[in-house]
Amino acid sequence: MYLVFTTNDFPWLTIIVVFPISAGSLMLFLPHRGNKVNKWYTICICILELLLTTYAFCYNFKMDDPLIQLSEDYKWINFFDFYWRMGIDGLSIGTILLTGFITTLATLAAFPVTRDSRLFHFLMLAMYSGQIGSFSSRDLLLFFIMWELELIPVYLLLAMWGGKKRLYSATKFILYTAGSSIFLLIGVLGISLYGSNEPTLNLELLANQSYPVTLEILFYIGFLIAFAVKSPIIPLHTWLPDTHGEAHYSTCMLLAGILLKMGAYGLVRINMELLPHAHSMFSPWLMVVGTIQIIYAASTSPGQRNLKKRIAYSSVSHMGFIIIGISSITDPGLNGAILQIISHGFIGAALFFLAGTSYDRIRLVYLDEMGGMAISIPKIFTMFTILSMASLALPGMSGFIAELIVFFGIITSQKYFLIFKILIIFVMAIGMILTPIYLLSMSRQMFYGYKLINVKNFSFFDSGPRELFLSISILLPIIGIGIYPDFVLSLASDKVESILSNYFYG
Amino acid sequence: PILLGVGLPLFPTATKNLRRIWTFLSIFLLSIVMIFSLYLSIQQIFISCIHQNVWSWTINNEFSFEFGYFIDPLTSIMSILITTVGILVLIYSDNYMSHDQGYLRFFAYMGFFNTSMLGLVTSSNLIQVYFFWELVGMCSYLLIGFWFTRPVAANACQKAFVTNRVGDFGLLLGILGLYWITGSFEFQDLFEIFNNLILNNRVNFFFFTLCGFLLFVGPIAKSAQFPLHVWLPDAMEGPTPISALIHAATMVAAGIFLVARLLPLFIVIPSIMYIISLIGIITVLLGATLALAQKDIKRGLAYSTMSQLGYMMLALGMGSYRSALFHLITHAYSKALLFLGSGSIIHSMEAIVGYSPDKSQNMILMGGLTKHVPITKTAFLIGTLSLCGIPPLACFWSKDEILNDSLLFSPIFAIIACSTAGLTAFYMFRIYLLTFEGHLNTYFLNYSGKKSRSFYSLSLWGKEEEKKLNKNFGLVPLLTMNNTKRSSFFCNKTYKISNNVRNKIFITVENFGLNTRTFYYPHESDNTILFPILILLLFTLFIGAIGIPFNQEGIDFDILSKLFTPSINLLHNNSQNFVDWYEFLRNATFSVSIAFFGIFIAYCLYKPFYSSLLNLTLLNSFQKWNSKRIRWEKLINFVYNWSYNRGYIDAFFKTYLIESIRGLAKQTNFVD
Repeated sequence: MYLVFTTNDFPWLTIIVVFPISAGSLMLFLPHRGNKVNKWYTICICILELLLTTYAFCYNFKMDDPLIQLSEDYKWINFFDFYWRMGIDGLSIGTILLTGFITTLATLAAFPVTRDSRLFHFLMLAMYSGQIGSFSSRDLLLFFIMWELELIPVYLLLAMWGGKKRLYSATKFILYTAGSSIFLLIGVLGISLYGSNEPTLNLELLANQSYPVTLEILFYIGFLIAFAVKSPIIPLHTWLPDTHGEAHYSTCMLLAGILLKMGAYGLVRINMELLPHAHSMFSPWLMVVGTIQIIYAASTSPGQRNLKKRIAYSSVSHMGFIIIGISSITDPGLNGAILQIISHGFIGAALFFLAGTSYDRIRLVYLDEMGGMAISIPKIFTMFTILSMASLALPGMSGFIAELIVFFGIITSQKYFLIFKILIIFVMAIGMILTPIYLLSMSRQMFYGYKLINVKNFSFFDSGPRELFLSISILLPIIGIGIYPDFVLSLASDKVESILSNYFYG
Repeated sequence: PILLGVGLPLFPTATKNLRRIWTFLSIFLLSIVMIFSLYLSIQQIFISCIHQNVWSWTINNEFSFEFGYFIDPLTSIMSILITTVGILVLIYSDNYMSHDQGYLRFFAYMGFFNTSMLGLVTSSNLIQVYFFWELVGMCSYLLIGFWFTRPVAANACQKAFVTNRVGDFGLLLGILGLYWITGSFEFQDLFEIFNNLILNNRVNFFFFTLCGFLLFVGPIAKSAQFPLHVWLPDAMEGPTPISALIHAATMVAAGIFLVARLLPLFIVIPSIMYIISLIGIITVLLGATLALAQKDIKRGLAYSTMSQLGYMMLALGMGSYRSALFHLITHAYSKALLFLGSGSIIHSMEAIVGYSPDKSQNMILMGGLTKHVPITKTAFLIGTLSLCGIPPLACFWSKDEILNDSLLFSPIFAIIACSTAGLTAFYMFRIYLLTFEGHLNTYFLNYSGKKSRSFYSLSLWGKEEEKKLNKNFGLVPLLTMNNTKRSSFFCNKTYKISNNVRNKIFITVENFGLNTRTFYYPHESDNTILFPILILLLFTLFIGAIGIPFNQEGIDFDILSKLFTPSINLLHNNSQNFVDWYEFLRNATFSVSIAFFGIFIAYCLYKPFYSSLLNLTLLNSFQKWNSKRIRWEKLINFVYNWSYNRGYIDAFFKTYLIESIRGLAKQTNFVD
């Protein structure tokens, strides 16, 4: 293994990717010094990483360039033509920053974890690396490797910390995702081996390549299945509620905030960019599926007794908007999808966090046993109300903008018939009615009323400064994006145009 | 331009000043806004339209949103209305809420509400309208659920939000449809493009109508029109100032506002206009009939609000833009007056019957309050009279115009509207008489016996009450009571209104011992409560004047029509001319006679009952009648609840069905 320097720049991305996992393994090998040290160590690493990322992006990322930036290219395995190839563009910068932010907060949220905290924090950091790696890789095989890399920590996190049925749900998770990974691998290898004599894995090269139609459809289906499991598209979503219902809440934050977004990211990155013809062929179906998903998840959610499962279904429902936005193949639609990726990353994570903290207080997960918590924990109550408002797309919050733009995406799309568009929009909007039903009834069951029926001699305490800081620091970007969405939109818009130009000119 | 700039600092949630200071600050800011909007409206009389974009929000190559202002007479009228009522309600609620723990929260919500409402009326494009529309809905959700410990309130606020959300759904779809047709959100562009398209007949007409109807769904939900009115009566769970501000004066008027704003758009589609007026008339009738049998004073008022809003919709549907807005203004003032008055009554009744809304708002327990709360009584009476349409007061002028127009529009509607005017008079006077005339009913429950669940035997009464008072979350005034049975008492009721109240008042009410029973009377409210009531009273008295046509000189001169005619002269561009003085007089006498007829019936039915408590036969007959009425009303309520809940049932049914399917799928998946 030897590295060839092909870029003049400092290898920012490599450092960003490698730093957390190496620091984490360092922690693993150092002698055990108690939980507290581990915690602070991890948080410091996370913050350092976040700062590093921000610094790197601030100074080296040019807004108006749709091409890949900060690219690095090292030959890794020689005979296989496998490169360590990294780079970011407008699409991935937002998600990388989101990853950094959410992971830091999740680490902070995982403060109460005491059991085997060294391993826990190591896994968190490993996951951090994997996620950033997969968002920033420019090589198909590298993408796959990173994709697999973050599965293992998630599995362990699920299997070792969480509720009673955690082993079941962890197994389910790993079965689903491993199954999907096979499809991903097949797709990767198939795409790389096709056409040229040399196996190519470079995404840029692949993007310009064209395939015969049947092959393209086959690849498309393969990738679609892989990503559909990850960002749950409807028939393959059943792992999500189970997993979320059982996992520890900081794991939930990571799952909802970042992991789901990887699927959507992959959908844009690979399915849209590499296989435009197949995508335009499949997109009506995807749109139908997305619409069904919105309605289905939103109507399943009120039937859930488990608090976290209910939120999990709400995030399934919100992912439907992303799918619709992606498949609308318009500038606003795709922008809206990206915005929704980011905004749901914040909102979902924050909701899970609050659910987790209130679970810490009340030790009940079933909604019909709760009630009247508003008096004892007013701060959590306030935050929860605000965030459910954000989640049901109240104007001024980020969710609203994202959904609105997705709606515009459909309206302006040239591709579909009028009746089809009307139908889709109509059904989506019904989902908009269902959302407040389950979210508000959830908050009503949790907080409203005045007595606790089942809980005896339990002393509540309101959220401390740590939790308050956490929820506010999530809330700020939500409102910020809601009031000034250009902030995020400007990151991605050029990239979006360049992707879409494939569809109109290619 | 500064208007919104002044409106925005009202956003007060983050600040944590001392609460009194905070109140003053928000009142002060609101007054500035009011002065400014007054100035603007005076300007409006001479200049027609100011339209200004302030900043663009999102710019992309394909879509852009802009925040802007669109200030026209409609806006200025609405903003004056909002600010004046808002200020008065703020002053009022300063006292009303002073016992509550959530005082600061309350004012934060109020400020937020005012901001978003002002934003709504000044907004220049549909997206902005939608934006503030939802914010207003959220504020209403928060404020209804203000006392979140009550399960009823929790249910009510959720219901309100979901129902409003249905309206938002329609509104959003309508906006999107219009965008698809015209490619613009700005009102003015929208109207132009739309009219061009209609003229050239280039678009699918059915689709147009659909869009128009969907747009109209939003106002239906927001101003509690017929199919989606269910939330308004429940919304009365919120504190009374909220009911006055949001659910009587401003927020429900938002729907009317939007319809008025989009009237140039609706007016080209006749079927939409027909639907609007139809829904209006259904609501008028329904609201009035439902209001007949309410026990809760606020619910009664809520139904009457609904009915009056129906009048406005009717007027809009008939294309008489001016009278609808006129009625909107007059109604807002009188209804705010009524609500504040009822709030003051409730406040004084709370001390007697306890804090539970079942009791303190129950009209049956009231009665004979004239002696004790004279000022409130006068105010309430004036409000009632105004709402009934008695000549010198505000609502007379506006309602008369609506009735007049409806006569021109279609006779059936006119008949319904007129009879409903009679009904209005009837139920308003029912409320008034039940509340103020006769004797204080709290003590005669055994005689009246209408409420089976509140049978307190007289000997137990004192204890009952004490118990109730203890339950009051420590919000109700301290009560010192010497309770020795069968002797004369001296009861000191010390109202310790929280310490930092500006004018610390210790009211000591002498106890009037009536032979053996102990009770004390409700007291008149504090000055801070009375002040806004009086101001509103003045408004109610004189606001009618701005719309009175001075026809004697042969020139149409009234401020309102001068305001509105330049902005819209589509159908009734000469609407004033045919109302000559004679016809006006004739119509006026007609409507007034109807009103008096209604009042007379109410008086017959309710007055004797209370003046002659011992007249058992009358009592029995009345009781039968009343119970029948209540049952009937329950039936209606039942039907509505059912029809509303059917949505839920469907949802749940679907949910469980889906869940079982999902479970099945999960099992098969896992077996694999």
